[in-house]
Amino acid sequence: MGDFFFGITEWLRETWLLDAAFWMQETAISKVLVENFWGVPFAQVAHIISIAVAFGATLMLTLRVNGKVATNLTIQQVEARYVRWIWWTLVAIVISGLLMLFAEPVRNMINSIFWAKMLALLAMVIVSLMFQRSVLAQANAAGPGWTASGGTKAISWIVIILWCLTMAGGRWIAYSPV
Amino acid sequence: MASYYPEPENIWQSIEYSSLGTSIAESLWAFPTLETIHVIALVTVFGTIAVMDLRMLGVASTNTPITQMSKDTLPWTWAGFILAAITGSLLFVSKASSYMINPYFLWKLGLLATAGLNMLYFHFVTYKTVDQWDSAAVVPSGVKMAAVISLVLWIGVVFCGRAIGFTLGIYY
Repeated sequence: MGDFFFGITEWLRETWLLDAAFWMQETAISKVLVENFWGVPFAQVAHIISIAVAFGATLMLTLRVNGKVATNLTIQQVEARYVRWIWWTLVAIVISGLLMLFAEPVRNMINSIFWAKMLALLAMVIVSLMFQRSVLAQANAAGPGWTASGGTKAISWIVIILWCLTMAGGRWIAYSPV
Repeated sequence: MASYYPEPENIWQSIEYSSLGTSIAESLWAFPTLETIHVIALVTVFGTIAVMDLRMLGVASTNTPITQMSKDTLPWTWAGFILAAITGSLLFVSKASSYMINPYFLWKLGLLATAGLNMLYFHFVTYKTVDQWDSAAVVPSGVKMAAVISLVLWIGVVFCGRAIGFTLGIYY
């Protein structure tokens, strides 16, 4: 496994990403973050808190779809509460993530684990969008008594697993051989 | 087998040089794996606490009674907290003497203890009158205060947790 990721990192080093990372390193925002000791830690704190709010909202929606919480509320009410929090905090996740990326572009861009994390993030966003829309459509069609099928419940947990994989990728970036 | 570690001079070094501590420190995968589980657990704790605190502030979920919200979130908060405590303890064991000299680690422990006291006060004092404001969109200021204190303390816990990672080697 380690050799596989190391091989991809070696390949990344030969691509245009290296020049892009060098360019990012020279930008004003990168210099500000590098020259201020607390720049990166503050961006990371914002990143983690945003992830926590989005993940907490996702977990509550998942539990509702599985009939474990808020059973007095309809799916429409539960989605109205949590979905916008998920997507607005995802904006904060992207902004704080971009700050971290600009602070250490070579360490991130020439890093196979970083791109594995981006793939997990992309999969999580796509599956989440499809899941949320599908659940709402099913609930609208079936009315207040709607209960999720086994497949819908399984997808709700796949969203949680994709969130966990994305978070795991985030932590392992620091331990990837660059 | 010969030990490559010096004779411990205090309890923290004894913990760090224990077979558990050195196994985690020497392993290529143990520390990052424990950190990963620690982060997922902490995110679960903060995420579910935020859901509850936002309800207490009347910012979100005002159609859900506070007792119901507490019942929905608390098991996950506790599960996440226990997992974070176990993984955090194992991370601590691997570098105990470095952590014990780090002010951000000590602040993190202090903030966690204060968050615990805030929760205890809320559940055993403020919560006694929950029947009067359980379903109210606007709750008493004491409830809002508990939510604000909780959010501030947990943001502080996250900050200290990250600060530890950036300052672990600079204190002697």
